[in-house]
Amino acid sequence: MRTTVSNDKDYRGNVHELSRNIMTDWMGQLKDATQNPVPSAYLMISGNCVEILRCFDILPVFPEINALQLAIRKNSLPYIIKSEEIGYASDNCAYVKADIGFTMCGGVGKEGTIPKPSIIVCNFVGCNVYIKWFEHCAQMMDVPMIMLDIPFLREDAPSKADIAYVVCQLRELITRCEELTGKKFDIDRLREILRYSARAEDGWSRAKELCKNRPTPYDAYFDSINMMGPINALRGTKEAADFFDATVKEYEKMVADGIGVLDDERFRVVFEGPPPYPYYRNFRNLFEAWGAVSVQSTYSTVGGTWEFGFRHDADHPLETIAEQMIVHNLCNRSMLERYKQIRTYVEDWSADALVIHSIKSCRLFSAGQGDMREYFTKELGIPTLMVESDLEDPRYYAEAQMKNRIDAFFESLQYKRLRQGEEAART
Amino acid sequence: MTRKEVVQQCRDLVDLLPGEALAEARKKHPDVGGFGVFPVYAPVEVIHAAGLMPVGLFGAGDKIELSHAESRFQSFICSIAKSTLELFLRDDMKDFEGVVFSSICDVARNLSSLVTRNAPDLYIEYLHMPQNMYSGETLNYARAEFERFRTKLSQRVGRPITDEAICESLVLYNEVRALVRRLYSHRKLHPTSIAAADVYAVVQAGTRMMPEDYAPMLRDLCDEVEATEVKPRDGVRIVLEGAFCEQPPIGLIDVIEAGGCIVQDDDLMIGWRLFDHDVESNGDPLAALSQAYVSSSVYTSVRHDVDKPRADGLVVRMKQSGAEAVLFAPAKFCEPALLDYVLFRQKLEEDDVPHLKIEYEEKMWTFEATRTEIETFAESMLFD
Amino acid sequence: MKYAAGIDVGSTQTKAVAIDSARAIVARALIDTGANVVRAGQRALDELLATAEIKREDVGFVVGTGYGRYKIEAGDTQVTEISCHARGAQMLFPNTRTVIDMGGQDTKAIKIGPEGDVLDFCMNDKCAAGTGRFLAGAAEVLGLTLDEIGEISMTGTKPIRLTSVCTVFVESDILSHLAQKKKVEDILAGVHQAIAARTIGLVRRVGMDPEMTFTGGVARNIGMIRSLEASLGQSLNVSPDAHFCGALGAALFAMDHVLANYKPDIPVGAEPTVWVDE
Repeated sequence: MRTTVSNDKDYRGNVHELSRNIMTDWMGQLKDATQNPVPSAYLMISGNCVEILRCFDILPVFPEINALQLAIRKNSLPYIIKSEEIGYASDNCAYVKADIGFTMCGGVGKEGTIPKPSIIVCNFVGCNVYIKWFEHCAQMMDVPMIMLDIPFLREDAPSKADIAYVVCQLRELITRCEELTGKKFDIDRLREILRYSARAEDGWSRAKELCKNRPTPYDAYFDSINMMGPINALRGTKEAADFFDATVKEYEKMVADGIGVLDDERFRVVFEGPPPYPYYRNFRNLFEAWGAVSVQSTYSTVGGTWEFGFRHDADHPLETIAEQMIVHNLCNRSMLERYKQIRTYVEDWSADALVIHSIKSCRLFSAGQGDMREYFTKELGIPTLMVESDLEDPRYYAEAQMKNRIDAFFESLQYKRLRQGEEAART
Repeated sequence: MTRKEVVQQCRDLVDLLPGEALAEARKKHPDVGGFGVFPVYAPVEVIHAAGLMPVGLFGAGDKIELSHAESRFQSFICSIAKSTLELFLRDDMKDFEGVVFSSICDVARNLSSLVTRNAPDLYIEYLHMPQNMYSGETLNYARAEFERFRTKLSQRVGRPITDEAICESLVLYNEVRALVRRLYSHRKLHPTSIAAADVYAVVQAGTRMMPEDYAPMLRDLCDEVEATEVKPRDGVRIVLEGAFCEQPPIGLIDVIEAGGCIVQDDDLMIGWRLFDHDVESNGDPLAALSQAYVSSSVYTSVRHDVDKPRADGLVVRMKQSGAEAVLFAPAKFCEPALLDYVLFRQKLEEDDVPHLKIEYEEKMWTFEATRTEIETFAESMLFD
Repeated sequence: MKYAAGIDVGSTQTKAVAIDSARAIVARALIDTGANVVRAGQRALDELLATAEIKREDVGFVVGTGYGRYKIEAGDTQVTEISCHARGAQMLFPNTRTVIDMGGQDTKAIKIGPEGDVLDFCMNDKCAAGTGRFLAGAAEVLGLTLDEIGEISMTGTKPIRLTSVCTVFVESDILSHLAQKKKVEDILAGVHQAIAARTIGLVRRVGMDPEMTFTGGVARNIGMIRSLEASLGQSLNVSPDAHFCGALGAALFAMDHVLANYKPDIPVGAEPTVWVDE
């Protein structure tokens, strides 16, 4: 009678292994950098310009990935508390708090590694907290900060002035990189890097496309994390491009063999919002228990919305980077653009429902998701579930209540199907 | 007008909802339209030159019940976002042509999206204000952003908004800002010459009147306040910091002074008095406004200046106003204010400056707990 | 085997209902949940059987619901209380389209279809603000019982305004009103209004389609009914069995299994699991 899920189900497959390998390699470089300093730069994930840093062999360091790892390994809370002790509010973003707390404790340990950077490059792409976060890092670590102010996408397309402003700032960044490394800017090298970027983006896009199949070969929310590291942090390397070729091959084979990530795919959902990293597996299990799998997710596109066709263009290096930063990532697009994105996901990826995971830390994502819910349920008639917790702070995860809402939601979907089945049988 | 009349009229005006304030202005200017200005800053001169009255849209305080907006915004979202949305969902803003939001925080940005969807007949603008003050393209970008606003607003109202008209508006708002600076300067020297709550009401009223009507009134007030003989009183001289967006209830300002503090300076409604000197009003007005925003803005929590940390700005603000302590008053859930608090606090601890943090909400109406905190703080300093 | 039972293990009380194959209620049981949730389920079932004078083997199927549902060893399967309240409310009032369920620690608004199927639902935030627990806190400060406060609140003429509906702050809030010599009835009227206002926000999310049925423990509070009706601008269906609505819904699901002509084969979600480190 009772269908329970085994907790040792291996969701991960080869792609997880491949991803871990190349990410571990990069993390090794971070660790080395704490011993033997090399030119390095802080950078944020969303709409980043990692290609420019790479062009100067500057090691990119992502505080967001540090925060993520602290959370998924269940180490975030002590550092969050540490930050609250020096004045951070309980209502502040816990990504910031965990990272700052960890940095205050030295930035190195078995929980993670975050070397002190040579410069802080604040790619202000959407998230206003980015600015504060990096102001704090610059102040506390006494490291120079460079501001890349990316105009928010507030019309259908960026204006000439928007592009000119960003390209100019990229040129100014290049000058700073030259000063830092003593290397001359080599545009042909940048073109080569951008070609690797485009190859990885192509792979990303093809992998996402494969989720249109029934059953979907991977979970586009929970498993996309395997692809997010390589596309956002390692983009522009041959390793990342190769990773995506292998990934696509793996998933294509699964599709050809009719193998899905779930043995029994019963509900296809689109996910909105970042996941609760401190309870990643628990949260996933609550959905898998119902045979629910994510076929698309907005969170996976914080760095880039590659599935809609954009590729870095090596023929226009700075313009293409500017365009990606302004237009082609979730964070720099409005809430209403996100509604459109989700609607496309639901329709083109044949989803049954939308699940909104509303997190307290990230107001860029969450502020106003009640309106999103209103739009999808009342205007479009798409069943929508909204649950709340946090992406970093384990104190906001209440499993019993979470489970209650999820179970009730799928019970209702189940009955709807049942009734439709009965109706179909009658006619 | 006498000082008493000015203060009373301003307090009455502040008590109205934005739509009611517009209706009040229309008694004298029957044809004027309204345009909402969400905090912190917007080029109000462009709006005024379009024949509209720029109206400060600081939520709705405790004047309305939130019945719709609570279901759109979660419990951890600030009051001003909710009450502002509620005004639109209740159709209170129907007499307005539109509203301008800007890139102050993530909540304000999403709010502009929600208002766009839920008030489809209005013109909703979102300005991305520059955060890099030093790029070779910053001024061009800022000017283009103001130009974009002018073009779209002009399309909305169906008439051109000329440079000449903007320059005329600049003269008016320069005058208003200069008078506000005059009032603040006088208060720094003679803080007991006018109650902090009165300054607050008077300046906020200026966001709900035509500048041509407001300036004479404000001048009368300044004249009288400056002529008044003042009796100094004991109290802790403070700078109030953190209330740059959502505005506290007037009762909170009363409680701060009643609790033993004297407000020497503050950042209330800072966006409406952002520039430390007049904006050039001869020539290209949009270029002048861009220049002013980039190089003459006082520091705020929503504008990044890589070379001028805000904590240094706070120290200067304290010194210039003769304050001895800082009262942080962030709005509840206000991410920029709460994050800035950390660096402010570090700086003040280094310099051994006493400080206290009190969170408020615009809809707050009992101040018992806050009063106790402020009194304790003041006592601890006065009896030290 | 012609009976079915539903057991609703709530945070404060456990409710049980038995129905016969015509879906008529044959017995009810109500006990305090206490600390031992497993025992509460069993005790409620025992009491139910005794009241109904039926043997355990005559009960063909038992469905558990409520927060303690996974702990009910006596149950054959579990269904969430959201589905159960929807189903129960539809049986009590067949034209129900919206259910407001107010219990000890949460409040739910449920939009339902003609057959009691859940179309949409919303629940309060994780804290117990504006739920039965809040009312209990208010009653306690005033030295009254939960049963008294509803009636008293209706005599208030000048409802006070609460700073928040936070369960933690309700005490100090009320005490400061008492210190200001506010009348008890006005304080209670304010408390009820504040909860009603908060509940409306929840109901709006699913839509305010009539008829509306009020269920759960707080539905026994006449002051809350009137406050809600005033805020909603429409009348509420309230059954004497409102408190048992979740258990009734569970019993109806159980009867589906017994009759087997409508077998929903509801998969039950995984029990809360222990984290397996990556």
